[in-house]
Formats: sequence, structure tokens, C-alpha cells
Amino acid sequence: MFAARTRFLALCAALLATPVVGADEYNFDVGQFEKKAFEFGGYAELRAEHFRLDTDAALYQLNFFDREPITEYNAGIGALQLEGLYRQGISSFRFVGYGTYADDYSGSVSDARVYEAYLTLAPSDRATFDLGKKTLSWGKGYAFNPVGFVQRMKDPNDPELAREGYVIAGGNVIRSFEGPLKTVAFTALVVPTSDRVNEDFGPGDYANPAAKLTLLYLDTDIDLLVLGEGARSARYGFDFSRNLGTNIEIHGEWAHLTETTRPVVSATGMVTTVTQSANNYLLGARYLTENDLTAIVEYYYNGAGYSEDEARTFFQTIHNAYDAGNTALLERLRIAAQTALARPNSMQRYLYLRLSQKDPFDILYFTPALTVIANLDDGSSSVSPELLYTGVTNLELRLRVFFLTGGQLTDFGERQNDRRLELRARYYF
Amino acid sequence: MSSPRTLLLALLFLIPSLPAHALDGDAILQQVDRKLNPESYEMYRKLINIEPDGRKKEYVLFTAKKGRDKMVALFLDPPSDKGRATLRLGDNMWLYIPSVGKPLRITSLQSVVGGVFNNADILNLDYSTEYKVEKAEQQGNNYLLDLKARTATVAYDRLKMRVDVPTLVPTEIEAYAASGLLIKTLHFKDPKDFGDGVRRPATMETDSPLYKGYKSMMLYAKIKARSFPDEVFTLDYLPRAGELR
Repeated sequence: MFAARTRFLALCAALLATPVVGADEYNFDVGQFEKKAFEFGGYAELRAEHFRLDTDAALYQLNFFDREPITEYNAGIGALQLEGLYRQGISSFRFVGYGTYADDYSGSVSDARVYEAYLTLAPSDRATFDLGKKTLSWGKGYAFNPVGFVQRMKDPNDPELAREGYVIAGGNVIRSFEGPLKTVAFTALVVPTSDRVNEDFGPGDYANPAAKLTLLYLDTDIDLLVLGEGARSARYGFDFSRNLGTNIEIHGEWAHLTETTRPVVSATGMVTTVTQSANNYLLGARYLTENDLTAIVEYYYNGAGYSEDEARTFFQTIHNAYDAGNTALLERLRIAAQTALARPNSMQRYLYLRLSQKDPFDILYFTPALTVIANLDDGSSSVSPELLYTGVTNLELRLRVFFLTGGQLTDFGERQNDRRLELRARYYF
Repeated sequence: MSSPRTLLLALLFLIPSLPAHALDGDAILQQVDRKLNPESYEMYRKLINIEPDGRKKEYVLFTAKKGRDKMVALFLDPPSDKGRATLRLGDNMWLYIPSVGKPLRITSLQSVVGGVFNNADILNLDYSTEYKVEKAEQQGNNYLLDLKARTATVAYDRLKMRVDVPTLVPTEIEAYAASGLLIKTLHFKDPKDFGDGVRRPATMETDSPLYKGYKSMMLYAKIKARSFPDEVFTLDYLPRAGELR
């Protein structure tokens, strides 16, 4: 373990030892920025992570009951994202690929995915048609999106991370007006599912039609959104966003989901499926103080999530099975957990708070931040301070620590880790 | 009682202390706007943030503007920011980040580039759209204009603008908060003929007492009149802003 820690510190030191850009003359050769038919870019990333495990936590016991017990481990991750765009007349083709190689105590694993690969036809400035794998991002929330009907879930700890899309076919039309209603835009699409396409969107062969009507009315962004019944239950909702002043913005989302299902574990370890309709909503604000402190706060109500009693029963059942050495039940619970219960933010009421200070102590491009995700049902929380430095062109350095706090049988208290240190260096090209 | 001759003499004494003619500050400000840019145009800009030790960071933007209150700015460089696009419609501002995949509302006092420039500097509309002239006077070869924000949503509450009389372009602008605090000073330099009657400073240098020792520059290129459909200044078009070039 000592050797692993030494390697981890050496990697941290290597990541921090970055060159400084020298100064040259102020010139502007605009010719080198001419529009090109083919554009290429992306980033390469190195991540060093250290995890301290909570061996008394339910999710540790669930994941490690059949493995060699450990109390901490290190992981090294390399990632590469490649992006390309090709234009030809009214058409364009965009590609985003993402690959990772990770190494930790259990060995190494690599993964490569196509995040986006789609064709766009734009016969006019007012209309476009898309066909292929595309990442959609519905909703105004920063950390959570109750109306994100046609996208993968965000990681609230990294909301700006690119996500894998779904194969879609759709179109978009835009009209602008003078007066209080300035913009109307309409998007219609299908997200076809089968056992070969979009199989993780939901089961069955369906077209999964969806639509979004966007308005800019009285300086307020408003979206009305709907997903028809298919691989997922039918759902509809709205979102809004508005600036109240030069330094404050408010936003919100509301969604109604018909017949959502979730696996629920009883005290005896029986896994049953609960079906219900649910309302999910979010209210949030972004505020900038005179001292350049940005605060983002969001209250998220997940009506389709687990109640405190359901979560406590789940965690207690794991503890009971672990103490009794009931590996058969632990295996069943592990499968149930993979579907929903052990996912982040699977309970009902959460508060998200992020405070970030721009350029403190006159250090340009240095942004310390603090992110808190609190479960308001059981009082547990994740607190993560971070330091971000972007002063070297195209290089981004981020150091952050996660502290998970909470009592027994609580959301964050029963997570596998109770500390996590992460150093990330990302170079854009 | 004074005689009419005495009154006339008194008036003659008073006349030299009055301005030769009252200045129409708002008219001057509108002329300044048109000297700086056509009402609808495209242009390229380079933003340079310079730190006290000489290190610098540069951004290149393509900008499209239409009418009084519509503007898009697209980041072309560096690669870490390429594809980001900001949209302004009146007092509304949004930032599109490709990895996020949707426009987020931003406020005028935030800064998407860091340094002395904030969003209002990058998405600056015509001065006459956002400010009215409260006081105008001439000092030698300069007009001195005191500007007051038309609404509370404008980034700077007051501007003090020094305008070169022969060319009608600003040479210096001081920006103040509502509290009276000087936030930054803009210095306009390097007059250049951009063609089609646009002759204006090609460099704007900014310093701020809030960022002692730091300096920001904005270099202008390829400013030319161009008309755009309204639809390109919408949230749904923002991911395609690169197609405007």
C-alpha cells in the first residue's frame, strides 16, 4: 500500500509540474481562423484518484462480500476525447468519441464509446434535420434535470461532463418575432429502441416520439416537453429560466411521469417492483456577489425516488445478509442495486449548493469551489472542496476531495467510500 | 432702475460665459456608435489577458450583431474554449458549452473568459442602446460625455466617455458601479481603416483598480456590415453558431 501511495504522489507531482507560457507580441493574424470544411479537436486527460473505503457501509459490504477486503486503494485513469466536424453544402457530420483506460487494485480495464455521430441537414437558418447518435440536453437545471426525458443522467459532481447520446431522427424549426414573444422553436424526434439500437433507453421495439416547444416570452425561457409512451412511460413537463438582474438568474423544472417503476427490497430480502406515477421538480438560482463569488443552489424533488424507509430497509437488509454470510441474498441485492437503489441521488429530496470564487488573492484563472449535495430526507451529505487552475493555455488542472458524511442507514453514510481524492489534468487540442 | 443700455451691457458680459451652442449628447453618442461599428455587422476579435509577470492568455472570437440588441460571439480559439458561444438578446445572455449541450443563462457581470473583461464587455451593444447622456461638454478636441444606464440590468451604472471631436470615436471610457466605484477604464488606440467607411480604433486596452497590475486587450479585425436573419440569434441556433462564418 505504501508503494501505491508513493506512485500516487509521484503522479500528482508530475501533473502539477507544468510549463509556463512565455510572452510574445500582440498581433492578430485573423487568416489562421478562417472557416474550414473539416475541424478536429478534443482533449487528453490523466486522473489520479485515491479512495478511502468505509468497511462498515452497506454498499461496501455489497460490493466486497466476495472479494479480498481492502480499506483504501488508488486508481489511475487515462481518457481521450476526439471530436470532428465535416461540412459539405447544407450538410454536416459531427463525431465525438470517448475512450478510457483505468487501472486499480482489481486490474485494468479499457472502454471506448461513440458519444455522437450524426448527420445534420440545414436547408435554411430556420430549419434543421438530424439523423444519428446525438446527445440531447433538455432542462434548465445545473445539477439535476427532471425534464431530461431523452438523455442519460447527469453526474451532479461533474454536471458539465460530456455524455453519450442516443440514436435519434428529428427536426427543428425556429421563428423569431418582435414584441413580448421573441422566439418560438419546435423540436420533434424519435428515439427508436430495439434489441440492437438504444437498448439501454428502455426495453422493447418502440419509436419513442418526443417533442419540445421553446419560447422566449417576456425575457423568460420556457420549454414545454413531452415523451410519448414506449420503452419508457409517457412523461411531460416544463422548464423556465430568467435573469432577475445583472447578477442573479432563477430557473426551474417540473415533470410528470406516468407509471414509473423501481425495485424495492423488503426486510426479508424480497425484491418487488413498485409502479406509480410521480411528479419531479427542481427550483434553482445562480447568484454572483460583488466579490465574484458565484453561488448555484438547487432544490430537487424526485417523486419517483426512494423514501427514507425504503432506503433504510434496503441498507439494513444488506447489513443483515452480510453479518449472516448470506451470499445468495447479497448477490440478489447487488443486481437490484445496479438497476436503481445504489445510483447516486436515488432518494427524494436533495439540496445542491456550489460556491465558486473567481480569481481570489489576485490569482487569475484560479477558482476554488465548494460543492455540497445534501440529502434532506436523512441529513447525510457529500461535501467536496476543489481547486481549479486554467492559467496555462489549453491545460486545466483540478484537485478535489469528497467527504461523505451521514449516519447509519443514510444515503451518503452507506456509500462505499467515505473519502475520495482526485487530481485531474486535462489538455485540449 | 437700470437703463436699457445698462441691461444690454450686462447681457453682453454674460454671453461669453455661455456655451457657443448646447451640445446634443445623445446625438453625439449615436454618431460614436456608428463610427465604431455598422448597426449590423460581423467581426473578429482577439482578447488578451496579461498578468503582472507578463504571462498572457488569448481568446479569438467571431461576432455577429444585428440591430440594436442582438449579438452572438463564438469562441474560435484556444481549443479549450473552441465552440463555446454566447448570445445576447437585449438584457438576456446565454452561454453554450458544447460538452454541456445546452445554453445556460448567464449574467452581464459574470465573465466567461476571466480577467478584466466581463460578459457585458464581450457582448457589448451600442452605447446609445444601453445609456443616455446626462451631461455633455467640449474640452478642446474632446467631448466629455457622462452616461447613465437606461436600466438596472446594464452592467455599469455610469460611464465617463472621452470622445475625439474630429473623428467622433472614443479615446477613453471610465466605467463605474452604482456605488461610484471605478470598475475599469477602457483605452482606445491604433485608429485603422476597416473599409466601407469604418475607421475606428483597432485596439482597446482595459485596466481595473480591482485587478491591480493586470491588463486586458481587445484587438479588432475584419469589421464589415452584414445582415442576418433574426433566427440566428436564438437558443436553438446557438450550437450552430459556427455556420455563421
